[in-house]
Amino acid sequence: MKEKIRNVISNLLKVKPEELKDDVSLQDSIGVDSTEMVETVIALEKTFSTKISPKEVTKFSTLNDIEKVISSKVKV
Amino acid sequence: MVKIAVTGIGVVSPSGIGKRQLWANIKSGRSFIKNITRFDSSKYPSHIAGQIDDLEKYGMLSERLLKKIDAFSHMALIASEMSLQDAGIDIKKEDPNLVGIFLGNAIGGWLYAETELRDLYLEGREGVSPYMASAWFPAAPQGQVSIYYGIKGFSKTVVADRASSLMALGYARKILSKNKLNMILSGGMEAPVTPYALLCCNTYGGLSTNNEQPESAYRPFDRGKSGFVIGEGAGIVVLENVSRAKTRGANIQAVISGYGTTCDGVDRIKPAGDGKELARAIRMALNDAKVSPQEIDYISLDGLAVKIWDNSEALAIKEVFGTRAKEIPASCPKSMFGNLLGASGAVDLIITILAMEHSLIPPTLNLDNPDPDGLNYVANEAREHKINKALVISRGRGGINSAMVVEKGE
Repeated sequence: MKEKIRNVISNLLKVKPEELKDDVSLQDSIGVDSTEMVETVIALEKTFSTKISPKEVTKFSTLNDIEKVISSKVKV
Repeated sequence: MVKIAVTGIGVVSPSGIGKRQLWANIKSGRSFIKNITRFDSSKYPSHIAGQIDDLEKYGMLSERLLKKIDAFSHMALIASEMSLQDAGIDIKKEDPNLVGIFLGNAIGGWLYAETELRDLYLEGREGVSPYMASAWFPAAPQGQVSIYYGIKGFSKTVVADRASSLMALGYARKILSKNKLNMILSGGMEAPVTPYALLCCNTYGGLSTNNEQPESAYRPFDRGKSGFVIGEGAGIVVLENVSRAKTRGANIQAVISGYGTTCDGVDRIKPAGDGKELARAIRMALNDAKVSPQEIDYISLDGLAVKIWDNSEALAIKEVFGTRAKEIPASCPKSMFGNLLGASGAVDLIITILAMEHSLIPPTLNLDNPDPDGLNYVANEAREHKINKALVISRGRGGINSAMVVEKGE
């Protein structure tokens, strides 16, 4: 799942997959801004056929965090 | 008011990207107005324009940024970079609080907006890019330029139809003359060659429908005038106080010495037919520059190629310059690449500065039978002529008048 998330974000924001570290926040690694985060959430919702609430988005920081939220909602 | 130096020029136009390419094409009198190829516009009454098709070649911008911005911001960023390089300014060494951005735009970034609106109706609100909110509005290029360079000083975007960018330059000069900033990136950008924007321009009226002969469609001050043709592009210059420019050994390409603006207040589209308010704006600019009508060597015409606009412009020039109106060379180079709407005044200023540098007046294309008479039109071929002081006229819908006096660099 983590690789899938990494690919979604890398394709969406036009950054190299290796720039996205598992345990570094997206803000620190690639300087993601709030609008990019909205776009990321929409793309992840589509990819994993789920809904992510604004409260859950506040927990999105690193790839590990995102994986934790999505895996709690989606059966792999 | 204090004279303000133009020390860098950046331009993106259908006649060329960069001042050298633009000048080479302008002086040779080549038309760059063609049938629109970006989308199927064949059902529009007017479907010709000055287009820029190779913007990506000049990109210093990442794909990540490009997907968030409209073409008009892209053009503004390229023109800004060119002007800074031309001025020899390393923006990282400037105090960001003392650098400003003053840009003009008339219609906003419609290519981005209309694509997303289509998605809104097809896919619902979740189909719309979150960047839509910041990509389309007229001040978006100002924001993108400020983010790109980390510029933090007092900045503004002027929306005044086709007069937007000359007005932005006028305000920029005013702010610099009060010593509130060290330097300003100023000019304008416009990207109207999109399905919805072209439709609006068609609805507004005044466009030439001579689609069969795109190159000869835009005929300012010619008896056979049939309206104007739109174009896209950006013109951005670096402005600084003359003393600062001299201190850092900059090439002072020109100085802006006067500006005036008035409104006609008669109609929401048409100007006043008598040109009185335009004449007042020209006088304001001359008085501001402390330049007499006898000293002007060249007039860059607004030239909409619509009878009431061309006639009232000529009347205003005759009122201010009297018998000299017949002597001062005047031309409308935008007849070669289209009217860049909100960016037109800035590009006119840039072409005027290049004309001063080369002592050569670029022509008005398609001017075979002058109408109205009484001006010294430079028609179809460039004319050698030394220019020390010039007047640039830029006007907007509903009778917005602006005039700028520019003098040769020191």
